[in-house]
Amino acid sequence: MKGARRTKNIILGIIGILIAAYVLFPFYLVVMNSFKAQTSIVESPVSLAGASVAQLWENLTKVASNSNFNFWYAFGTSALITVISLVLLAVFGGMAAWVISRNNKKKWATAIYMVFIASMIIPFQVVMLPLISTFRDVGKFVGISMLQSIPGIVFAYCGFGGAMTVFILTGFIKGIPYELEEAASIDGCSPEGTFFRIIFPLLKPVITTVTILNGMWIWNDYLLPSLMLGQNGKVKTLPVAVQAFVGSYVKQWDLILTAALLAILPMIIIFMFAQKQIMSGMVEGAVK
Amino acid sequence: MNKKVITLVLAGAMAAGLSTTAMADLRLVNGKIEVDAALKSLAAAYEEETGVHVEIESMGGGINIQDTLKGYYQADNMPDIFVNGGDADFANWEGLLADMSGEAWVQDTAAAYVDANGAVIGFPYTTEAIGLAYNADILEKAGIDPAELTGPEALKAAFETLDAQKEELGLTAVIGYCAEATNLYWSTGAHLFGAYLDSGLDRDDTTYSDLLADGGQIDVDRFTHYAEMVDLFNQYSDPALLVSGTYDQQVLGFAGGKYAFVTQGSWIGATMTSDDADAYAEAGNFTVGMAPYAFEDGIDTILTNSPSWWSVFQNDNTEEALAFLQWCAEDGGQKFLVEDAGFISPFASCAYVANDPFAQTISDYTAAGKTSSWHWLLNKSGLDQNVLGSIYNAFAQGAMDVQGFVDTVQQSLAQYYAE
Amino acid sequence: MKSVAQGNKPLSIILFLGGIALIVAALVLDCMGSSYEYRGAMLVCGIIGFFLGLYLIPTKKHHRKIVYFIFLFPLLFTFLVTVIFPLVLGIGYSFTDWTGIKFSKFVGFENYISMFKDPAFIWSVLLTFIFVVLNMILVNLIAFLLALLCTSTVRGIGFFRTAYFLPNLIGGIVLGYIWQFVFSNVLISITKTSWLSQTNMALFAIVIVYIWQYAGYIMLIYITGLTQIPGDVLEASSIDGANAIQTLFRIKLPMIASTITICTFLTLTSAFKQFDVNMALTGGTGFVQNFMGSIVTTGTQMLALNIYNTAIRQNNYALGQAKAVLFFIILACVSLIQVRVSNKKEVEM
Repeated sequence: MKGARRTKNIILGIIGILIAAYVLFPFYLVVMNSFKAQTSIVESPVSLAGASVAQLWENLTKVASNSNFNFWYAFGTSALITVISLVLLAVFGGMAAWVISRNNKKKWATAIYMVFIASMIIPFQVVMLPLISTFRDVGKFVGISMLQSIPGIVFAYCGFGGAMTVFILTGFIKGIPYELEEAASIDGCSPEGTFFRIIFPLLKPVITTVTILNGMWIWNDYLLPSLMLGQNGKVKTLPVAVQAFVGSYVKQWDLILTAALLAILPMIIIFMFAQKQIMSGMVEGAVK
Repeated sequence: MNKKVITLVLAGAMAAGLSTTAMADLRLVNGKIEVDAALKSLAAAYEEETGVHVEIESMGGGINIQDTLKGYYQADNMPDIFVNGGDADFANWEGLLADMSGEAWVQDTAAAYVDANGAVIGFPYTTEAIGLAYNADILEKAGIDPAELTGPEALKAAFETLDAQKEELGLTAVIGYCAEATNLYWSTGAHLFGAYLDSGLDRDDTTYSDLLADGGQIDVDRFTHYAEMVDLFNQYSDPALLVSGTYDQQVLGFAGGKYAFVTQGSWIGATMTSDDADAYAEAGNFTVGMAPYAFEDGIDTILTNSPSWWSVFQNDNTEEALAFLQWCAEDGGQKFLVEDAGFISPFASCAYVANDPFAQTISDYTAAGKTSSWHWLLNKSGLDQNVLGSIYNAFAQGAMDVQGFVDTVQQSLAQYYAE
Repeated sequence: MKSVAQGNKPLSIILFLGGIALIVAALVLDCMGSSYEYRGAMLVCGIIGFFLGLYLIPTKKHHRKIVYFIFLFPLLFTFLVTVIFPLVLGIGYSFTDWTGIKFSKFVGFENYISMFKDPAFIWSVLLTFIFVVLNMILVNLIAFLLALLCTSTVRGIGFFRTAYFLPNLIGGIVLGYIWQFVFSNVLISITKTSWLSQTNMALFAIVIVYIWQYAGYIMLIYITGLTQIPGDVLEASSIDGANAIQTLFRIKLPMIASTITICTFLTLTSAFKQFDVNMALTGGTGFVQNFMGSIVTTGTQMLALNIYNTAIRQNNYALGQAKAVLFFIILACVSLIQVRVSNKKEVEM
């Protein structure tokens, strides 16, 4: 009986490793070919022949200095947009969710909540075209550039991420006992003070979840920035820059794969440190 | 509370900072990514001379430049000078482009783009040629006289001769023809199809282009002959290249002497002498030439034209933009455009000779009066990407024979033009 | 904090009125068509002043309401401007000849009628359905098997989970180009011509890439479902002499029915919206000889990409918008069905 179990485990282990090899193979290709020059990538894409650290350095320098790609600028733009959007979504989302859950007996709050939830089924495609024209017209009208600008795209991410954020946060805040707030209120704490001093710190775990979900989406998003910022505009996020660079017919795989490596590296590094939170956060987001 | 104030102030500051971007410099959207470096040195020289900074924004062939520009327009982010490829492109900007009729350079060229109202709205910056490019050294070794390649029989015989001697000549395949559809649709769907539309015609003859515009019709006889030529290419091309190859692979193969012919235009000369210089040198820096796409007897012309033009978008910078283009047409600018970018100058007064492998063959054809213009720019927008690219690819994969190819093209053109 | 909350009358009035004045001034400038470059900053400062003033109004009675308003405003405002307003506009535009910039007349259902006359569109709808069904089945099946593997007694479960989940971190565009490299530079030595150049195989290639990206994520959800099955239930079944297969079909699958529902709809909606990978891998090219009596030359173009191409590439915004509205209706129906199904399941249990 024990022997059979061991055999079973060994077989399962081998299957698991084979699948892992398949899943990780593209990562291997990206990493390994980043160490190679264009000619050896094209000639032998799978083997290690021609790989050297010096070549990786050369590829990195070429990627960083390619003015049509402008890698670090795009990287910085993406990071800035993602971070600002996440902070604003967490703060504004927390505020809105608190108001909604503390008024959940009132009709207006229920109505707002229902609209938020219902909006989660709206696909981006149906709003993207009017969104661009609205942003352009509003931007021209009030003199604040909404397209081609970081504030504009952050604004859009707050709008698109709002529904899911409020949904998850409201569910959590409802579970916080109201007595906590009443006690603070009796001590003379203002409502906003109560929120920022007592409720907001309690939201930490659920804000982590929300931030992970929004962060993965915003960092990797292509369609919204490509429409708002242009496929090859002055302000580019990383996915847009990769598309603009790679989409041109000059297929410089040495640069493309090195750029791909740089583009996925931050995600992998963050993942290493917050593996548990990311995996459980993604599941929670889906199950709710 | 403090947090919120800070956030709001930050948001306000960001918005305020944005509304005050300075727009003193010129910005040029270039459609030829391969000359990006040359244009940047041109811009640097101009800045040194006049103090006006010109930002060069280059876009590759895989990006639909007009779509991007439309996006820019929607986003209120138009460049001052940008590239337009033909009537359909220019039509996108009706009423938005500066009329350059008054500029001095207009008198110096026959290649400016003039709209229906007589306004000059396109600055020509180069001359390009589309023909069947060949490696003259290899043809000579095989005993083939390129001057005789003026009919389907001669073409077929030459292909057979070369194929028989592939090994001695070091050839991988007779011809580097690539019909990949996702990235290279423009090569087949626009350029090679353009050979059907214009080969052998007078420069102002638009017979087949007009026929196409009239509900997507083709001249079945002529197109069948043309299809036979494409079929010949299918048979003698490098199988590794034919269906799913890349542009780089195709040009590198030709530059390295692996293909005797290649179905790309004169612009590959620039790539051969820069990116592919090593391979080209190894293959002996051979002489190149161009034969007509002679799918019918008597076709003896190659296609030449200004491939696209630079237009000036009317805005506050129009004066500066016009001054820059005038400078480009003069000695100082032509030096960079011809010597660095390898453009074959459309200006009569230009004293520079392009260091381009194809410069000689183009000037020979021009001198002999054996050039046709090209009119594939008149094709319905998206024809190459959405329709023809996939069909040429299917033909290359053997999904249909010559007759099938003709029928398919005929049917889908009619469909596409009916939409 | 306390003193601020109690308010400061003069400051509050100055900020409040000053804010309104700035907003009005900025809007007047806007309406006059002024291009004064600080008018945007004026508007933003005005709004900030307005809210600060509002916040500082010295009223105990209404303070809570004011705070609620201020707290709700930012998210609700961005939400209305980016989602609700464009949605309403978009539905309206789909009945006009909108060019992306302006429209001149209402055309009724003309856009909707013309899209159903276009074989290429019908093809892309069918293709999307095939893709969705294939994915729904394959992703769930594979993810479930992976989940079983990762909840078994095998060693190295932690590594397997991480490895299988890893592709989910990468965005569709970058991932698409990595796989373009795999198909056209690596696998080509086996396949001779790249799968991406063969219409049937290209769809298959997109499915493979999609499973590669998505199965690890769905697997995690199944793992959560499986580990929530109470241990004593499994123990009881093993005491009763049930073998592994019986346990799987009689105990595990019924116990995670709600998880299966969630995963099914998750894969369904996300496969439906597939855009990035489709664009990066094939750009929608492909050849179909005969479909409804005509030739389709956009053989691998799925619905989301078709909408994008119609509007952006072919510059037909009204038609693209109408297709997008149809897309929305289909997805809304799917979501309604999901709500129905999940409620039913819960009642049964």
